Amino acid sequence: MTMNRRAFLGTTAAATAALGTPMILKAQPAEYIIGASLPLTGPFATAGQLVAPAFTMAQKLFNDEGGVAGTPIRFVTEDSGYIPQNSLANYQRALASHGNNLVGYMADSTGAMKLMAPELKGANARIMGSTSFASELADPATHPYQYVSGPSYQSQFDILLENIKAEGGTTVAFIYSNTEFGRDPIAHGRATAERLGLKVVLEEVTKPQGADIPTHVTKLAQSGAEYCILQGYVTGVWPQLIGGARQFGLPTKFRGTFWGMEKIIADRITEQAGPFLAGYEGVMPYRYFWDQADAPRYQTYAKYAGEMFAGTPLEKYLSTWTLQTMCGLEIAFKTLRDTAEAGHELTADNLAETLAGISDWDTGGFFGGPISMVNNAIGTGRVYAYDPESGLFNPTSDWLSV
Amino acid sequence: MINGNLKSSYGSDERIVNNGYKQAFVYGSFLCLAAFALFANDYMILIACQVGILLVAVVGINILTGYTGLISLGHGAFVAIGAYAVTILHNAMDGIVPDALTALIAIPVAVTITALIGIIVGLPSLRVKGLYLAVATLAASFIVIFIVENETFAGYTGGVVGINTPVPNLLGWELDTKREMFIFISVSAVLALLAGQNLFRTRVGRAFIAIRDRDYSAEILGISLLRYKLMSFALSAAYCGMAGALFAYFYARILPEQFELELSLELIAAVIVGGMGRTLGPLFGVILIVLVPELIKVTASVVTNGDTASTRIIAPLQEIIFGLLLIFFLLKEPLGINHIVDRLIRAANRWPFARG
Repeated sequence: MTMNRRAFLGTTAAATAALGTPMILKAQPAEYIIGASLPLTGPFATAGQLVAPAFTMAQKLFNDEGGVAGTPIRFVTEDSGYIPQNSLANYQRALASHGNNLVGYMADSTGAMKLMAPELKGANARIMGSTSFASELADPATHPYQYVSGPSYQSQFDILLENIKAEGGTTVAFIYSNTEFGRDPIAHGRATAERLGLKVVLEEVTKPQGADIPTHVTKLAQSGAEYCILQGYVTGVWPQLIGGARQFGLPTKFRGTFWGMEKIIADRITEQAGPFLAGYEGVMPYRYFWDQADAPRYQTYAKYAGEMFAGTPLEKYLSTWTLQTMCGLEIAFKTLRDTAEAGHELTADNLAETLAGISDWDTGGFFGGPISMVNNAIGTGRVYAYDPESGLFNPTSDWLSV
Repeated sequence: MINGNLKSSYGSDERIVNNGYKQAFVYGSFLCLAAFALFANDYMILIACQVGILLVAVVGINILTGYTGLISLGHGAFVAIGAYAVTILHNAMDGIVPDALTALIAIPVAVTITALIGIIVGLPSLRVKGLYLAVATLAASFIVIFIVENETFAGYTGGVVGINTPVPNLLGWELDTKREMFIFISVSAVLALLAGQNLFRTRVGRAFIAIRDRDYSAEILGISLLRYKLMSFALSAAYCGMAGALFAYFYARILPEQFELELSLELIAAVIVGGMGRTLGPLFGVILIVLVPELIKVTASVVTNGDTASTRIIAPLQEIIFGLLLIFFLLKEPLGINHIVDRLIRAANRWPFARG
C-alpha cells in the first residue's frame, strides 16, 4: 500500500489523537497536596501540637492504601498562631505554591473558616474541613466547599436535649461562654427544648474562663434546673462550676458538648480537684479510641500509632481532638478518591458534589453505623458519662441521629 | 552636618524629595507598586494589602505618638470602629444610595465618626500622660470590642460571629478582586504618607511637635494643649478609621477577634521599630512587622517542605527568631529602621567621600 500525503497526515493526526489526548486528559500531578493551618503557637498551641502528628499518620496511611487513585497525597502544614488572617495567608500561599495540585485544605478555627468562606470562588476554591463544629458552616447554600466533621453544635444540643427528654427530664439550664462557639446553639437549643416540652429555666452567659462562679452557682440553685448544659468551654469552668455546685449540694446533672469530652483533661482535673466529675455526661460525635472492638479503622490507627509514635502518649491513645482531625481527613480522602475513581477532575466543584453526595458510608467505626453527609455535616453522636475511677467516658445512650 | 544636598533656593529647601537618591527611592517605589499590581500572585497581593492597611493605621499612630508624644494602647479600637462603621453604613445605604456612591459616602462618614470618638478617648490626655495615658486609652479597646460583641447590637455588628462585608464600588469601578483592592489600598497608603508628611509642614503639625518636646513650654508659647492634643487624637483616630474601612472592604468578613489588644500593640510596635516621628518610619515598621514573619515562614516552609513533624518544631522557633530580630533592631538602632535607611542614603549621597 502506498501512502500519499493526505493519508500520511490523516494517519499522523489519528495517531497523535489516540496517543496524546489521553495523556492530556489524564495528566496527573506527581502528588496531590492537602494544605493545613494548625495553631502550633499561640493560645491553642497545646491542642495544635497534639493534633499535628495525626497528619503524619494520615499521610502514611492514605499512601499505603494507594493514595488518590494511585497518586500519592502529601500534607503541607503551617502554623497559624490561631489568627484567622494568618490562616487565610497560609491558604493563599498554598494556592500560589501548589496551584492545582492543592486539592483540599484544613483550617484551624471557626474564625478562619468564616473568613475564608467568601474567598472560595472560581480558581481559588478548594474543599475545606476544620476543627469547627459551627452551625453556620453546615449550610451548602452559603458554604458549598466547607464541611463539618461531625454534628454541628446545634445538632449536639439536639442530641443532648433528646437524651434528657428520654431520661424523663423536665427542666434544663443553659450556661455558656460569651464566645462565638458558646452562643452558637443557644437560640436553636431553646427552640428544640420547647418542641420537646422541656422548660429552659436559666440561660446564663459567662466569661470563657475565670468566671465569677459563685454567682452562677447561686443562680443555678435558684433556677431548680434538673439538667444544666455547658457550652463554649474547653476546661475553664468544670472545677469551679460543677465542683461548686457539688459543694453547694445541688443535684443538677451536668452535660457538655464535644470540647468538654476529652479524657486527658477530665483525668487531670480529677487528679487535681477530686472526683466531682462523676456523672458528668456529654455528647461525643465519635467512638472513643479505646473502644476498638467494632472499629476496624481504629485498629488500623492503633497499629500505625504503635509504630510511628512509640514512646509518646500517642502510642496508646488518640485524643478526641486527634480523632476529629482524622475524621476530617478521612472525609477529604474519601471525597478525593471517589471523585478520581469516578473519572472526574479534582476540581472544587466536582469534589463539593461528591462530598454532598456521601451516603451510607461505613467509616470503619468512627460512628455507630454508616453515615451520610447532610448539609455538609454528620448529624450523629452518642452520650457518654465520665467515670473518675476508671478514667473513661462510657456510653449511656445508643447512637443518636438528628 | 555634611549631607551632600545642594540647596540654592528656598524652594529647594522646601522640597520633600530633596536629592537624587530619594527621588530614585520614591519614584522607583511607585514603579514597583505598579509592576506589583500587574505581576504579583494572589498571595503576594494579600500580604501587600495587609502592609498597606496597617501602614495607614501606623501613620496615624505616628502622628499621636511619634509627633505629639502621646501614647495610646487603644488604637486597635479605632480600626474596629472604622471597619464596623463603614460596613454598617454601607449596608444601611444599600438600595437607597446608588452603588457607585455608597463607598464614597460611607468611608468619609466612618472616618469622621472614628475621629469624633478619638476626641472622646483623648480626653484623659489633658490630665495624664505617659504610661498613665496608655492605660487610660487601653479601656477604649475593651469597650469597643464589648459593644461590638454585645447581643444588643448584634443585628448591626454581627456580634461574636462577625459580619460579611460589602464590595466597594467607586463610581462604577467595582473592587471585587484583591488586585483591584490592592490598587485602592496602595493609593490610600501613599496619600496617607504624603498627608502625614505635609501635616508637619503646617502650624498644626509644628504645634504637635512643640507639645511632644515640652508641653508646658508649648502652652506658654500660646499653643492650646486642649485643642491640639485632642486634634492629634482625632487625626490619628481618623487614620485608623480609614485603615479600618480598607480592612472591611478588603476582607470578605470582619470578626471582633481581629481588633483586640494585639492589634493595638502591633501598631505601637511598628511605629517604635520603624522610627517614631519620621515620615517613613511607619513604612519600615510595618514592613518588619508584617513581612519579616512571612519571610521567616516561607523560608521555614522551604526547609521543612511542609512536613508536619518538622513544622511542629520550627513553628515556635519562628516566633523566637522574630522576637530576636525586633530586639536586634532596637539595640542596633533605637531611633528605628528609618535612621538606618537615612544613614545608607546619606552615605550613598556623599559617596565616595565620608560615610556614616
